[in-house]
Amino acid sequence: MASWIQRFLLAGCCLAPLAASGQSDDPLEPIVGADIERRAISEDMLDTENFEIGVYGGVLGIEDFGSSAVTGANIAYHITEDFFVEAIYGSSDANKTSYELLSGAVELLSDEERELTYYALSLGYKMFPGQIYLGANTAFNTHFYITAGGGNTEFAGNRYASYTLGAGYKLYLTDWFALDVGMRDHMFSHELFGESRNTNNFEGRLGLSVYF
Amino acid sequence: MQTTGNTITALVLALGACLAMPVQAGWFDQAAPLVVTVDRAYIDVYSGPGRGYPIFHALEKGEQITLLKSRTQWIKVQTENGTEGWVKREAMLATLDATGQTPDFSDASRADSVAGSFEVGAGFGDFGGADSTTLTLGYRFTQHLTIEARYAQQAGKFSDSEIIAGGLTHQPFPDWRVSPYIGLGAGRIKIHPSATLVDTVDREDSVLQASLGTYVYLSRRFFMRLDYTNHYLLTTRENNDEVNEWRVGFNVFF
Repeated sequence: MASWIQRFLLAGCCLAPLAASGQSDDPLEPIVGADIERRAISEDMLDTENFEIGVYGGVLGIEDFGSSAVTGANIAYHITEDFFVEAIYGSSDANKTSYELLSGAVELLSDEERELTYYALSLGYKMFPGQIYLGANTAFNTHFYITAGGGNTEFAGNRYASYTLGAGYKLYLTDWFALDVGMRDHMFSHELFGESRNTNNFEGRLGLSVYF
Repeated sequence: MQTTGNTITALVLALGACLAMPVQAGWFDQAAPLVVTVDRAYIDVYSGPGRGYPIFHALEKGEQITLLKSRTQWIKVQTENGTEGWVKREAMLATLDATGQTPDFSDASRADSVAGSFEVGAGFGDFGGADSTTLTLGYRFTQHLTIEARYAQQAGKFSDSEIIAGGLTHQPFPDWRVSPYIGLGAGRIKIHPSATLVDTVDREDSVLQASLGTYVYLSRRFFMRLDYTNHYLLTTRENNDEVNEWRVGFNVFF
């Protein structure tokens, strides 16, 4: 992680063209120098890449309020080759209900109240690892995953405890850069129409992730 | 115009360099590459960091490999002729470093390895009947003591609330895999009664927290945290309030 922070800071520096050219050291320099070899190796010297950060966009169907665009960000920590934990945060704007549209003048919610934001912390399980092939020489690693967790949804001026189930497909373009096609179901109950009502709010999304 | 063109070219080059670099072992390869020699009949190389990915290569005894990075329990290696792939972490026990020793991939004492590091975590729980979500950021400055910032949101039937607090926790037995702790904290709680009730006023009070809980180490840098916190709300009304919270969460050291 420390070396990640280093990388991050250095990323800023390398935007200067000077640093970029400084990278192109003598390509013939031997990979292994004779004098630097005699040292013990421990795990801490190895760069870890267990965190994943990403952005996504898609469509969120807000029950009774139509479907709208949703954008969000996620951060994940990979615990083992099978399990990970994920935090997601997304926001969207609800449309009008059919009742509002048909009646013409009625407005159940103000514009501000139509904004929906959610966050969730989930435990994920990676399954069905495999590869897809593009032509004869290119293969990309892939896997499916499922997630389950909970968090909060803010909507219509209230905060609701919500539960989130999800599934998706990850395609690794490189070791550290992946494409994510997935869906989530954000479930919460509200009393906007008088009586308590359980809602399922499905989201289809496409995301990009970077591992560090 | 020429200058703009040059600037853009330079930026594109710099960006290209940025994008290309993480593929290598490090950004500025000043640190010498980590080279080990295979000391077993063979080591399987997988195409990805998981047991389900295909094995496409085998490292031979005596072959020198460079360790590039790790993800979970997998290590990305590069052979002398440039082939890259993933090997299991345990395979490192079948290698020798330049000193002729097996590299140190044993799990160091947890307490030693986490002192001086930050931890971030999130948890869920029951806050006197309301659902609560908590984020914590901690710094473990000795093996026993962690200073911590906490932010929590509660969604209840009649009100929502938020707590911002700071605290200190003490672990008497940091070496234990299940390591209990006690904690004290203080902060502010903001309560917004539910908007569907009429005539509601937000209120803000001080809150004192006393916690009892335990860390359960699941992997080297990852642990589960079980926590019971007693929140004592110093209200401006006649009586102070007391709320009990139970929480389960996950934290990561970094």
